[in-house]
Amino acid sequence: MPLLSWTRRGLVAAVGAAFLIGGLGGPVVAQTPPGVLIVGQIAEPKSLDPAAVTAVNDFRILVNVYEGLTRYKSGTLEVEPALATSWDISEDGTQYTFTLRDGVTFHDGTPFNAEAVKFNFDRMLDENHPYHDTGPFPLSFFFGAVQSTEVVDDMTVKFTLNAPYAPFLSNLAYPTGLIVSPAAVEAHGKEFGRNPSGTGPFKFAEWRSNEAVVVERNDGYWGEAAGTQAVVFRPITDANTRVAEMLAGGIDMMVEVPPTSLGQFSGGGFSVAEQAGPHVWFLILNAKEGPFADKRVRQAANYAINKEAIVNDVLEGTASVAAGPTPPAFAWAYNEALDPYPYDPEKAKALIAEAGADGATLTFYVTEGGSGMLDPVPMGTAIQADLQAVGFDVKIETYEWNTFLGEVNPGLEGKADMAEMAWMTNDPDTLPYLALRSEAWPDKGGFNSGYYANPKVDELLDAARTATDQDERARLYREMQEIVQEDAPWVFVANWKQNAVTNDRVENFGLEPSFLLHLQGVVKN
Amino acid sequence: MRGAMMGGYILKRLISAVPVLLGITIIVFLIMSLIPGDPATAILGSYATPENVEKLNRDLGLDKPMVQRYFIWLGNMLTGDFGRSFSLNRPVLDEIVERFSATLILAGTAFVLCSVLGVLAGVVSAARQYGLADKAITFIVLIGISVPSFFLGMMMILLFAVNLRWLPVSGMYAIYGGGDLPDLLNHLIMPALALAAVATGVIARLARSAMLEVLRQDYIRTARAKGVPERRVIMGHALRAAMVSIIPVLGIQAGFVLSGAVYIEIVFQWPGVGRMLVEAILKRDLLLVQGGVVFVAACYVMFNIAVDVAQSLLDPRIKT
Amino acid sequence: MSTFLKLLFRNRLAAMGAVVLGAILLLVLVTPILPLHDPDITATADRFKRPFTEGHLLGTDHLGRDLLSRLLHGTRLSLAIGVAAALIAATIGSAIGIVAGYFGGRTDNIIMRGVDMLMAFPYILLALAIVAALGPGLMNALIAVAAVNVPFFARNIRGITVGLAGHEFIDAARLAGMGHTRIILTELLPNVLPVIVIAMSTTVGWMILETAGLSFLGLGSQPPQADLGSMLGEARSAMISHPHTSIVPGVMIFLIVMSINLLGDGVRDALDPRLRSGALSRPRATTLVERQGDIPAATDDLLAIQELETQFHVGNRIYRAVGGVSLAVKSGECLGVIGESGSGKSVTALSVMGLVASPPGVITGGAVRFQGEDLIGAPYETLRRKRGDRVAYIFQDPLSTLHPLYRIGQQLAEAIQSHHKIGSAEARSRAIRLLKDVRIPNAEARVDNFPHEMSGGMRQRVGIAMALANEPDVIIADEPTTALDVTVQAQILSLLDDLRRDRGLAIIFITHDFGVVAQLCDRVAVMYAGRIVEEGPTKAVLDAPAHPYTKRLIACVPELGGGRRELAAIPGLPPVVDDLPPGCAFAPRCDKAQDNCRAAEVVLLGNEPRAVRCLYPEEAI
Repeated sequence: MPLLSWTRRGLVAAVGAAFLIGGLGGPVVAQTPPGVLIVGQIAEPKSLDPAAVTAVNDFRILVNVYEGLTRYKSGTLEVEPALATSWDISEDGTQYTFTLRDGVTFHDGTPFNAEAVKFNFDRMLDENHPYHDTGPFPLSFFFGAVQSTEVVDDMTVKFTLNAPYAPFLSNLAYPTGLIVSPAAVEAHGKEFGRNPSGTGPFKFAEWRSNEAVVVERNDGYWGEAAGTQAVVFRPITDANTRVAEMLAGGIDMMVEVPPTSLGQFSGGGFSVAEQAGPHVWFLILNAKEGPFADKRVRQAANYAINKEAIVNDVLEGTASVAAGPTPPAFAWAYNEALDPYPYDPEKAKALIAEAGADGATLTFYVTEGGSGMLDPVPMGTAIQADLQAVGFDVKIETYEWNTFLGEVNPGLEGKADMAEMAWMTNDPDTLPYLALRSEAWPDKGGFNSGYYANPKVDELLDAARTATDQDERARLYREMQEIVQEDAPWVFVANWKQNAVTNDRVENFGLEPSFLLHLQGVVKN
Repeated sequence: MRGAMMGGYILKRLISAVPVLLGITIIVFLIMSLIPGDPATAILGSYATPENVEKLNRDLGLDKPMVQRYFIWLGNMLTGDFGRSFSLNRPVLDEIVERFSATLILAGTAFVLCSVLGVLAGVVSAARQYGLADKAITFIVLIGISVPSFFLGMMMILLFAVNLRWLPVSGMYAIYGGGDLPDLLNHLIMPALALAAVATGVIARLARSAMLEVLRQDYIRTARAKGVPERRVIMGHALRAAMVSIIPVLGIQAGFVLSGAVYIEIVFQWPGVGRMLVEAILKRDLLLVQGGVVFVAACYVMFNIAVDVAQSLLDPRIKT
Repeated sequence: MSTFLKLLFRNRLAAMGAVVLGAILLLVLVTPILPLHDPDITATADRFKRPFTEGHLLGTDHLGRDLLSRLLHGTRLSLAIGVAAALIAATIGSAIGIVAGYFGGRTDNIIMRGVDMLMAFPYILLALAIVAALGPGLMNALIAVAAVNVPFFARNIRGITVGLAGHEFIDAARLAGMGHTRIILTELLPNVLPVIVIAMSTTVGWMILETAGLSFLGLGSQPPQADLGSMLGEARSAMISHPHTSIVPGVMIFLIVMSINLLGDGVRDALDPRLRSGALSRPRATTLVERQGDIPAATDDLLAIQELETQFHVGNRIYRAVGGVSLAVKSGECLGVIGESGSGKSVTALSVMGLVASPPGVITGGAVRFQGEDLIGAPYETLRRKRGDRVAYIFQDPLSTLHPLYRIGQQLAEAIQSHHKIGSAEARSRAIRLLKDVRIPNAEARVDNFPHEMSGGMRQRVGIAMALANEPDVIIADEPTTALDVTVQAQILSLLDDLRRDRGLAIIFITHDFGVVAQLCDRVAVMYAGRIVEEGPTKAVLDAPAHPYTKRLIACVPELGGGRRELAAIPGLPPVVDDLPPGCAFAPRCDKAQDNCRAAEVVLLGNEPRAVRCLYPEEAI
């Protein structure tokens, strides 16, 4: 009897609670409104000041609010006009003169002109500029070559570089080069990052901290008006929660879907977009000391690691196997003739035996996450297992991203034999220039943490940087890739295919190789 | 007279909290200085070359000696200036206040939930010792304290938000429309329950043993001998006496709830201060971490003083 | 030890915990010799195999590693980590707590402020910061988890140490010239150790949960090493698509933490001396009734206890506290019940209104009739309506019988309001009147006092006032003066006597002091080992005690009103009521006992109103 009465009471309470929850829950879990696109972001933006931010996550919002003088042509990494309609480059490659687009106004109503462009670059580069204190501007070195910016006339602006610098146009298309409204900077000072004003197809509406950044259609846009009324960027830092929101209909679109969750979206109602980008995931090998000082052992590592298994199984096909230091997304500079190191443990063992490195103990730095690092821990674990299989004794040390950078960037000497790393760049010059030259060893301020040095590579990279002819540059880069692949300063593992999921109410969506997220043309029903 | 004594007592406790808080400022400052990796590296990411780092550190005022930086920070804080967060590019205090109120809503609800549910479960369990209700409660309570809260939270999301679609997955308010109280409650149900689970278990177990202890006391027999209805004997006489040993545990559990909110805030994307602090530590946002910790610790200290005051109000035998 | 185990396993939940934990420990110990896959060998093509796949009993994880193997190896590691962290935290925390508690004063103050600081620091952030500062790895996670738990141990152990440090044995050790270290190690530590051990055992589970939490935040063991926390952390990204990878370690964590908790509770209870006496159970609202045999017929007494049998059931033992007692009172009459501690007199009194703590108490026979109505087995509400209203109690120690947290006015008012619907103002004024009735000076101010603010005598007057609140017909006074000094006792007795005469109350007065009986009671019943051995009018019994026990009791009171006397004058101790001798219970202590005294039960015989339970009475009756 007591059992019965108790369970009956319990049942009533449970049903009551269910009704209560159900009743409360009903209206709120309704679909998101049409015309409003809700995007699941991976983090809260730091700032909406393009000069002050460094994260791809923030760029995704910025490129919809601001524009630069140049931009990447849709679907490529080639530069095309944006706020500048045309440009001239002087013979010696040090003077760039831009003709600006007429009739463009910032969201705050002030006009876009040469003064505005000068203001933007002076703010970033001139320590004496009255608004330089709205920084710091961590990526200002992208324009480190700029000596001066001059207003030629209202619609013409001229940059003088201290040396020829081929990637300059491409850097202008990078988010650091986006143009902000001088009036808004003057009005808001340090708070400009929370009160942004640009010329893009969307204008800033609202920023509710840790909840959403809302941008609305800019009806005064000079180009084609945006396809949606508004876009809401929701920061959802936890990948699982982001997937759950997507499944539950709380967001319309999410980027960087965890590979293991991709299967969830293969059914109806969702579509997955994929786009390879200028990304390379590699292992830095310590070429200065230890077993990897021997080129054969470095090559052996490249043979020993089953990259196919990593990209197809661990990453569920969200990446392709990398062949060399330059990602295929830089189509014009990529060496098509290059084949990736095949998975050949026997050959690896033979090379190791030849070098007398059997059973060597290796310290392997692995990070827990970080920009472009994909799934570093599972990947590191799989790599560890592969190397173990060819006779190395690999000890993993994992570090949280910032500590990891603090350990790796100063160089691996005396600490580790290998480290994970990934780069996303906008120009084929950037990565090899910063990470493969002998002049880029850590003690000289570069990122060549594995101490690779090959005079021929140095020479090729210097030449490519100053050449203004793209075909000439391409030739130099292709030659560089061959040498570097043979020298194997890194284990070339993967090129990421960026992905995004949208639900079936979203149309006209596509990803760009630049990893930027242009939402201007997207429509939501 | 008692009121005046209480006032003096509170004042005395507040004064004794000052060195504790000062100690916390030193601890958090030291810890943040000892953690490898610096804010410049965190901001610059892959582009953290030594010269870039050095320049940025100068811009951020981090090139001064440690002791000097500590006193500058402390001095500014005393004037109400907590500095500027470089990872969020806004005043630290704004961010803390905003996010602390979110945490307060979450942790406060969870705390009320776990106190009420825990005490109630403990009381029922004790009143029906070895009965079916006792066993059922013991079992549920054990599940609560044996499952990591983040695991519980994710399971709840899967069931109630993704599969049944009864409740929103995450966040504090609906992104569009909403913003009112029902909307908040709707978003609050799962995280508050998941957060309260462990503490409910701990409190229920404690409340049960405290009640059992009290129910054996002579004054309970006296109450029964007076003919006081059993419900009142349990919920009045016994519970009141048991609260004397439950309240200090509530105080400790409040600390756990506040700390445990970190996991729940991450899983449910609650815009609270716990998540903020974890992110700030990872980004080496020194001022945000330091300010946040001092703020949270100060609130915790205040709460504990309040607990002690409540305790002495409940139990007249405690000398104030 | 065997009693400990028996007690432990009598608690079925604890036994279950022990079995589960034992099984896990066994599995973990034999893990290295089990035919398992290598836990670190990856086979990415075979990833996310479901449980019960061929060759992988629990399936595989995201890298195709065997989950069963990882689970067992991981459990091994996690248990080791949990135990180690608990040990470290307990050792350091206890050391700090003992030092602070033992030395007290400034040392204590400084240490505890430090502990306060650490406790105010959000513990997860502290752990996070420690791991960030020390670098990665399970060892550092262990240190962090241990470190953040040190303050809790320190605080707990300090509290206990402070309590102990005031005890005589510490002072004695100090006077004996022992050094601080020696006192701490040889005197304090052994007393604190059980608490430390129990706190530690329950912390192990908590530690495993916390390391899991740190893994969730990405801090923990280094891949490919498996521990439960990192398994859960690694499985998180596949939680939606492949839930089994998180459920496997999740369930294991649940099982470990749950079994540790159940076992810990069981151990704590089994070590608690009170559990052995069955006292750790909560008493029910009324005493349990399992009446066997016939129910005696009604009489015309106001209150009649008829052949009452009350027992205590503790484990398999049965204590016959009351073995067939019959007593009765009429209006205005005062009946004394006298006997040594443990003679069953209080249990008899409490049985009347079903107030014997139950468990372990059970009323197994007889009846209690109030105005002819049988109260044994009456519904709770019937009983409650009579409690305090028709039959009221006065208890022995007024400090423990008054609720410490209510003002006495509230407690008095409640006695009235439980039976009469009156407003609070009226209840208060009646409370004041009651206080005046029991001659408490300055009643208007006293009504707002808490019990601890009053003297013993005053408190007992409050107890009496409470009993009088509803003008009951019967008052059962259970040694109401035992805790008081002589002059106060005399005042209380005369107060009771006056009330009885003024209001026509019937009083059952329970005492072990013949002096008190002589002063107050009309009749007296002498109890020994749960039975009445002699009864009769007070004067008759005092003048000519018939039972050897009565005679000895009276001999203990040289002068009337001479105050309390210990009954040490009777050699030996009363028998334990779970092992009564077959014949006269007093025989072992009686110098007149013959063989037939021990042979068979002795009956209560005599002419009304006198009776005696003795084969060789001192006086013929």
